[in-house]
Amino acid sequence: MASDSVSPVSGSVSPASGSVSPDSGSVSPDSGSVSDPVSSASDFLLELDDIRAGYGRAALVLRGLTVRVPAGAVVCLVGPNGAGKSTVLKVASGLLAPRSGRVLVDGEDVTGRGPQRLLAAGVAHVLQGHSVFREMTVAENVLLGGYTIKDKAVVAERVEFVRDLFPLVAERWTSLAGLLSGGQQKQVEFARSLMVRPRVVLLDEPSMGLDPKATSIVFDQIVRMREAGTAVLLVEQNARRALETADIGCVLDLGRVHITGPARELLADPQLGELYLGGRPAQPPASPKR
Amino acid sequence: MPSASLVFQSIVLGVLLGGLYALLAAGLTLYFGVMRVVMIAHSAFLILAAYLAWYAHRELGVDPLLTLLVTVPLFFAVGVAMQRLLLTRLRPATLTMMSVLLTFSIALVIEGLLGYAFSGTQRRIRLGYSSASLEFFGARIAVVKLIAFGMAAAALLGLYLLMKRSRFGQALRATIQHREAAQLLGIDTDRIAGYGFGLGLATAAVGGTALALDTTIYPSLHWHWIGPLMAIIVVGGLGSVPGAAIAAMALGMTQSLLQLELSTTWAQTVFYVALFATLALRPQGLFGGRLAQRF
Repeated sequence: MASDSVSPVSGSVSPASGSVSPDSGSVSPDSGSVSDPVSSASDFLLELDDIRAGYGRAALVLRGLTVRVPAGAVVCLVGPNGAGKSTVLKVASGLLAPRSGRVLVDGEDVTGRGPQRLLAAGVAHVLQGHSVFREMTVAENVLLGGYTIKDKAVVAERVEFVRDLFPLVAERWTSLAGLLSGGQQKQVEFARSLMVRPRVVLLDEPSMGLDPKATSIVFDQIVRMREAGTAVLLVEQNARRALETADIGCVLDLGRVHITGPARELLADPQLGELYLGGRPAQPPASPKR
Repeated sequence: MPSASLVFQSIVLGVLLGGLYALLAAGLTLYFGVMRVVMIAHSAFLILAAYLAWYAHRELGVDPLLTLLVTVPLFFAVGVAMQRLLLTRLRPATLTMMSVLLTFSIALVIEGLLGYAFSGTQRRIRLGYSSASLEFFGARIAVVKLIAFGMAAAALLGLYLLMKRSRFGQALRATIQHREAAQLLGIDTDRIAGYGFGLGLATAAVGGTALALDTTIYPSLHWHWIGPLMAIIVVGGLGSVPGAAIAAMALGMTQSLLQLELSTTWAQTVFYVALFATLALRPQGLFGGRLAQRF
């Protein structure tokens, strides 16, 4: 991608590149091409369309934000503090009702529905920081992930699935969750969120507070989620690492998507790197994880 | 110097009293664990349950224990309604503080209604087994105290099993530990918190009935109870049911032993001494902090 094709400040993009779109654009993870957000709406598993949202009577945090998550893709939201990244996830999971705009899951309008309804629609949310039930065992935590599943046989099958996917969870099955390290707790949270076989998982700062080794494990697990067919909408301060893992990147600033495009191309853009990815020129990864 | 048999008798009575304190304090600490609500009216509901047991016995001639069939579900329903209709309307930022005022006013209303309905006269249930006692290694134990202890123990065991083994208990514990995460797992945390509050009030029904077996009751008696119960849950660690149970047993026994040398009034100061000591030395209580969420 030509480095001069993207203007992060204005959100404009060079049509010649065909890979990065401003504001409401969306990207097919396979082709890396821009999809028309209107005509191909049903291709997306999760859509946040022109969302305006905020907390209480305070000023808006999201100001006309549009994000689209294709099935089986990892979409990463990066941006400075206060850009509204975590708020996007709260709107997507039903924790926060938008003041305007629409939330669609597989084309169905679920705007304003609470977390229970969104979970039933296939949207799971792993919160920022540690949200394990610390005084419960790993087993109790994971089983609570299947709280909405009535069929015990299905619960047992899902338990086996997550124990296979996260070997550490199986190893520490009877341990008290609060006694695990930060990275281990995060894996328990991932496993718990996958109990309902969600179609999209919202991950809020999964590497926050983790050491480099634990961070690597967490990102490996995100790749494994994608390989298992689960789409991921990822919010991450560690923007470079997140973009290396993701298929699509969205740069947020001041409550809206400034730029969106294939993650590798965003990562390679030096102008973006300087503004949003730590202030040094980007080094494109030799072989990004897929 | 009291004799060894007298000390033993006091220890036994202290254990029995501590068991009752444990049940009453368990309900009180549950409210705080679930909603961060300080439920001043808990002991007023306790006295209300005692009055209902006394009234049913006087008017219908039924054993007070049978009133539990009505008072436990009734108090559970009242607790759920209180949480849903009153407490959820308080602003989260000032919930704990405002809950003190709200539940204080509820206590006053209950006391006023009891006074209006039954006057301020002291009441006591007279049962066929009220004066019966058993001998246990030289100590004489009133049967009604044993029954009250048995009720408290059974209720606490039931509470423990409910919290540990049932789907509702798991959801309630999850709600106490991380409400937002619980919501995201599909748990209707508002409904669960309402049921948790109802559960707390149901313990008051059991405790009040147990109290009525062995105590003279009057409408303002709840003020006598709320102080020690508050002290117990602070010493045990706010929100910790096991902490409340252990603190209740320890303080109940200490109170009972102090009564050998001091008057009943002075012996009761043990609760306040323990409260001040806890706030000065370990403000989170014996089982406060993270342990407060453990069952």
